[in-house]
Amino acid sequence: MKLKSKPDNEKLPVPPQTDSVAASEISLYRNVLKIKKEHDLEELGISFWDAQTTIQWSFNADQYFHAASTMKLAVLLGVFREIDRGELALDSPVHVRNRFTSIVNQEPFMLDLGRDADPDVYGHLGKTLTVKELAYWMITKSSNLATNLLVDVIGIETIQFALDELDIDGVRVLRGVEDQAAFAAGLNNEVTANGLLKMLRVIADGKAFSEEACKEMLEIMLEQQYRSGIPAGLPKAARVAHKTGNISTVHHDAGIVFLEGRKPYVLVILTQFGPDKARGTAVADVSRDIYNTLAGLTYE
Amino acid sequence: MSDQVPTDHSIKVVDAFDLDDELRSLLKPGEMMRDAQGRRHRLPRYFYEIPDRETAVSIRLSQHFGLNEFVLTDLKEAPRLQQFPRYVPCAVRVLAFYLEQFRRDVGASVHIAVNGAYRSPSHKLSQTATPHMWATAADVYRIGTTILRGKESIEKYNGIAEDLSDDIHVLPYGHVTGLNADDHVHIDLGYITVIPREISEDRMEVPQENRPRFAFEERRRRERRNGALPDEPEK
Repeated sequence: MKLKSKPDNEKLPVPPQTDSVAASEISLYRNVLKIKKEHDLEELGISFWDAQTTIQWSFNADQYFHAASTMKLAVLLGVFREIDRGELALDSPVHVRNRFTSIVNQEPFMLDLGRDADPDVYGHLGKTLTVKELAYWMITKSSNLATNLLVDVIGIETIQFALDELDIDGVRVLRGVEDQAAFAAGLNNEVTANGLLKMLRVIADGKAFSEEACKEMLEIMLEQQYRSGIPAGLPKAARVAHKTGNISTVHHDAGIVFLEGRKPYVLVILTQFGPDKARGTAVADVSRDIYNTLAGLTYE
Repeated sequence: MSDQVPTDHSIKVVDAFDLDDELRSLLKPGEMMRDAQGRRHRLPRYFYEIPDRETAVSIRLSQHFGLNEFVLTDLKEAPRLQQFPRYVPCAVRVLAFYLEQFRRDVGASVHIAVNGAYRSPSHKLSQTATPHMWATAADVYRIGTTILRGKESIEKYNGIAEDLSDDIHVLPYGHVTGLNADDHVHIDLGYITVIPREISEDRMEVPQENRPRFAFEERRRRERRNGALPDEPEK
């Protein structure tokens, strides 16, 4: 079952009297518009797919956003592609070093370690961490250093190969993190809500290279330590395998929600706001609305 | 200099021509390799054989430097060369000696980076010949508690290293690209080859052959055939 939202500028529809999927969709649509207005969001993109009801719903889901740290999911996918092919092992040691090469003119650059909240990684400068440890810190604490090290190990082109092989469009990964020369040249990683949804679905379905690889990826994503996005709109008992993404003007979250007694649902929420605005609770609010919608749904 | 080495272990020396085909193809003993300036250098042939991790950790090459610090590599090194027994050119002792002097002069512990000491010619960073392939260069990323990432600290320690001996060569800050992204002090002694004293060099240029070339090799082969202990006296 697939439902698509209507354009923003239409009049708000009146919900039908009877409880139905259509009524829920209309109600959800109204709430999403309300959240967008309340939080003064410039852009909002949502996509979800529910394995229990097979409902897929989207709102502005093919618009590209700056990926921020959600691109790290694609890096994770690339890493497990190489592991599945035997090119890499989870316990392979990687030299922890803060020196990278820009995709623009091959200029070297270093990360500002003061901005990276991951002493677990930069505390190992000059030493090694395993591929698995780097993947863990890249996802769970969004370590930029771990991300760039893994991008160096597998190569940026491998990430695109992984996305192509799994038929995932809507995710463009051009570079690692904090490549200021590339940023200045307008070369950024971009995602759509539908693109991230596809990626999470292949992982949730155990179809990203191997079931074992998917299990490993899910285990890492379930350890996510930043929980102000999708999890903040859910009951405490919910388990979420997810990845957040934040820069000055975007706040995203993309994850798989596991609730007791039902199949999981996959949810991607992308938000963009003005430079003078602080990050609000829009992602959590959308997450809460979708949870409430699914919880109250009478599925025929 | 060997008198200063506080070790309870002896290290076995091997002629890399005597190793199996895969190891020879990775270590490239005696082969010529060009450096970045196009000069040709002959790769080392005699290596210390490190049987296991415990030995690598327990053997001290100098008072403050363990053998394990000189063979730390990551996945850029050929997978076979990451497995024990591991091999490091005999000149590593000379490097350890100089690093010990460097440590004394800086008055703090000196930390060698991963991939920062011996790198085989098959290592992914070994595009052209560098003293790292002779085990006569070290990249130091931390001195005491100072992680080297600024021009000031790198130039300071470069100066101390250069003052230590005319044998020591350092690379200037930003040596890779000339830009501000350096993160280590590079100390090297040039292309030093150490020939263990029991070796006769009259067959130095002879390629790998089936017959034994040196008495100690013949003994070693016999030991392998008979499963005898390496220390069995020659008969």
